[in-house]
Amino acid sequence: MPLSTQSQADDEQYVLVASLDNARNLSNLLKAITFKDHAIFSATPNGLKVTVEESKCLQANAFIQAEIFQEFTIREDSVGFQVNLTVLLDCLSIFGGSTVPGVSTALRMCYRGYGYPLTLFLEEGGVVTVCKINTQEPEEPVDFEFCSTNVTNKVILQSESLKEAFSELDMTSEVLQITMSPSQPYFRLSTFGNSGNAHYDYPKDSDMMELFRCDKTQTNRYKMSLLKPSTKALALSCKVSVRTDSRGFLSLQYLVRNDDGQICFVEYFCCPDEEVEEE
Amino acid sequence: MNCILEGSAVKAFGKAIHALSRIGDELWLDPMLALRSVNSAHSAYAFFLFSPLFFQLYSLGSVSEQDPESIHCKLLIKSLLSLFRCLASIERNVERCQISISTSNDRVVIQFFCRHGITKTYNLCFQESEALQAVFASHLCPNVIKAPARLLGDMVMHFPVSQEEITLSMSPLRVGLRNYYEGGNDLMKNMYTEMSLHPDEFDYFQIGVESEITFCLKELRGLLSFAESLSLPVSVHFGAAGKPVCFSVEDLVLEAAVVLATLVDSESRGPSQPTKTLAPTTPRCVAAALPAASCEADSRKPQDLPAAMELIASSQGSPIIYPLAAADDATTPASSAICSLLFRALSSEQEDDACAVLAFYSDEEEDYTNSPII
Repeated sequence: MPLSTQSQADDEQYVLVASLDNARNLSNLLKAITFKDHAIFSATPNGLKVTVEESKCLQANAFIQAEIFQEFTIREDSVGFQVNLTVLLDCLSIFGGSTVPGVSTALRMCYRGYGYPLTLFLEEGGVVTVCKINTQEPEEPVDFEFCSTNVTNKVILQSESLKEAFSELDMTSEVLQITMSPSQPYFRLSTFGNSGNAHYDYPKDSDMMELFRCDKTQTNRYKMSLLKPSTKALALSCKVSVRTDSRGFLSLQYLVRNDDGQICFVEYFCCPDEEVEEE
Repeated sequence: MNCILEGSAVKAFGKAIHALSRIGDELWLDPMLALRSVNSAHSAYAFFLFSPLFFQLYSLGSVSEQDPESIHCKLLIKSLLSLFRCLASIERNVERCQISISTSNDRVVIQFFCRHGITKTYNLCFQESEALQAVFASHLCPNVIKAPARLLGDMVMHFPVSQEEITLSMSPLRVGLRNYYEGGNDLMKNMYTEMSLHPDEFDYFQIGVESEITFCLKELRGLLSFAESLSLPVSVHFGAAGKPVCFSVEDLVLEAAVVLATLVDSESRGPSQPTKTLAPTTPRCVAAALPAASCEADSRKPQDLPAAMELIASSQGSPIIYPLAAADDATTPASSAICSLLFRALSSEQEDDACAVLAFYSDEEEDYTNSPII
């Protein structure tokens, strides 16, 4: 049930208006990147991008294309602001987040521009709540300079197999080592914990492996603490692409289907911990 | 050593690890595959022996330069348990499991070959250790009952998970089970559960001496769960109060047992003779010290062994007994704790000393005051 408690005239003062019949299509995705309080929102005519960063080493982005929204109006080329993500999520689930089928919270998100709060109109069962969240000056997200031309190795896996591996990862290990190679062991996740080390090997012809394109043997280590938040995105996703570039930077892209079956993406970028020479 | 498990054997192996995790923190892994553990108070000991038939493939491999019997790997149960934690997922995903010991870098290597071609390899550190051996002369026990695991499981089901100790009583007419609280029977505070079964309910019933034994239930639950999952009957061998009780299962390919200390009743002091003694119907046990937690403060450590100690080496898996006389005071005041496990050696040349400890292991040579008698 679309929310239209605002008249057309009011709309003109907003630089960004985005409506969703089911607020969960936004909140579920945002939960996958909530490892810090603050998020940078960046809207363009293509859609909405929400970015969360950790000490310049880890960056998570959630993309919701304009087509996903029931209404998406933007009056400028690019609109950006920063809000407290935890507060935003609390507001999105203000009606309690019940999962009764057929009942969902409708959302109308409006932003008037620099200096104005982010206004949320939430409605469920005829009850309307208005939330105004203070916005801050958006920080410039780190540009990891990860471009497809620099990608040396890429695999696409079905998330199911990785989910189990990640849930079993030895958390006493400080790093997660990822090895990608055109020869054995093809794709390997390794941990080095207190009681010993563990390796998870995925062969290139596994039926879980949708795409395997590795040109060069690369082994990189990433801090476990940085990658841990990505398991939330993994849990939501059905497919994940793992790419490394020539510098060893890691890009994890998760394909998430929302409640209505539409596709959204969550992406994690991570700096390597150290270069490991392949033995 | 190198062995391969397939299918349901992997799950059974995992269940054995779960059962052993109830006993102690460390696990001894020996070739010919034996898994053993003992609790810190040495009042509970368990072993699982898997014959080569349990495995799809079994070989001692490149260990030939070293006597296979001399490798004893001591591992943290915690690390092994995390590999076998989710048995349902193991059942679903694991097609084959390979276990090998690499002495060159002190690693036990466990590999799971899973669905979709995925391989999980774990290299676990181990410590070389002396053998952990403590076996119980079950055939010398006057009382024996044997029942399907299900029956025993149903019996202990009535006790809350938090119940530390229970008392098993046996008379020619009934077998009883009731919970036990230290500090006496305060009828106002605790809930008492008691049940009795007729000897006919058991597959085998032999009574040599009427007795009531009190032992730790928590340490037993793992074995019962293991036995139930494989539908194996459980045999219980015991004697008078104060003597250890042994719960064992066996089939064509494996053998397992948990040996638990039982509370001494206050009437007897020091070791009792293996003669028939009638335990009083309501033994006033000395303040309980059986659970490992409360035994911590006990100085029941192997270093107190007096000179008169014998070790009888065993072939793998066959019962051996060695009386380990701890230097503990035989005459314990009522307030102090006793974990008393009394053994009798097959060769009766030991001394009738103070209370013995159930199981012994040591990493240091000097703890052995006598060389093993073979």
